[in-house]
Amino acid sequence: MLAKLKAATFEVLETMFFLFPESLEEGEILRSRGPFLRSSVTIAGPQSIRIGLQVPQSLARKMAANFLGTDEDQISQEQLEDILKETSNMLAGSFLSKLEASAAFKLQTPVVQWLSAEDQKKRKLEKSLRFDVEEELLELFVEKG
Amino acid sequence: MAYNVLIVDDSATMRALIRKVLVISGFDIGECFEGANGREALNILENNWVDIILSDLHMPEMDGAAMVQALKKHEMWRHIPVVLITTEARPEVIKPFLSLGVQDYIQKPFRPETIRQKLTGILGEGRTTDASEIESCDF
Repeated sequence: MLAKLKAATFEVLETMFFLFPESLEEGEILRSRGPFLRSSVTIAGPQSIRIGLQVPQSLARKMAANFLGTDEDQISQEQLEDILKETSNMLAGSFLSKLEASAAFKLQTPVVQWLSAEDQKKRKLEKSLRFDVEEELLELFVEKG
Repeated sequence: MAYNVLIVDDSATMRALIRKVLVISGFDIGECFEGANGREALNILENNWVDIILSDLHMPEMDGAAMVQALKKHEMWRHIPVVLITTEARPEVIKPFLSLGVQDYIQKPFRPETIRQKLTGILGEGRTTDASEIESCDF
């Protein structure tokens, strides 16, 4: 399952953001400064799960700028949040396609929240994949929905 | 020949992206209208000529399915091709929309050339925009 999620991550980041993530090994540390944005989407179905990503604001801004083809300082907070929501939505959609999941699994509306650096440290992700994206940390997680 | 396009998506950011990708793709666009849901799209159609509709599925007030049903009942709008732009490409999810009369779908994430191929397949080539025109476009 995580392999398919990883493939979905590469596909979304490369196609829509022109960013090329590198997987981080367990124990490999990449320091990122907060605040962080966390976006997720619930896949409702026989076994509901939630898929999402967590990135520092600086990476979210870079992603948004690449996505919209504009300068980072021109990105509004609304656009930043919209793009994170759209990213988790695309990740979940691509993941479901790769799994060839039945129509019983339905994507819910994506949500986004801001986390302080402290909140981010406290938060333990159940199952996660970590990527180095232009020397910033992108974490992908799967939780029970 | 330039084609008028209507983009229907509840996210203004996504609409801006689709508009940008359309320009980059080099497809010959005339006017580009935007609606935040099916209801707004129908209002735009009341007063404007549209050659093709690019629509999201899930939107508040009137979603993609309800919009397509309304289009198919209308004498003037029933032949306007609708292409879904969606994260959902599982056959079981898409098939009911194709049965409703949706022409085609594009799965997100997508590349400009995918949009161009789909639109060209449906509407024809039109006039190819050259690179200098793309660079001068303000979006």
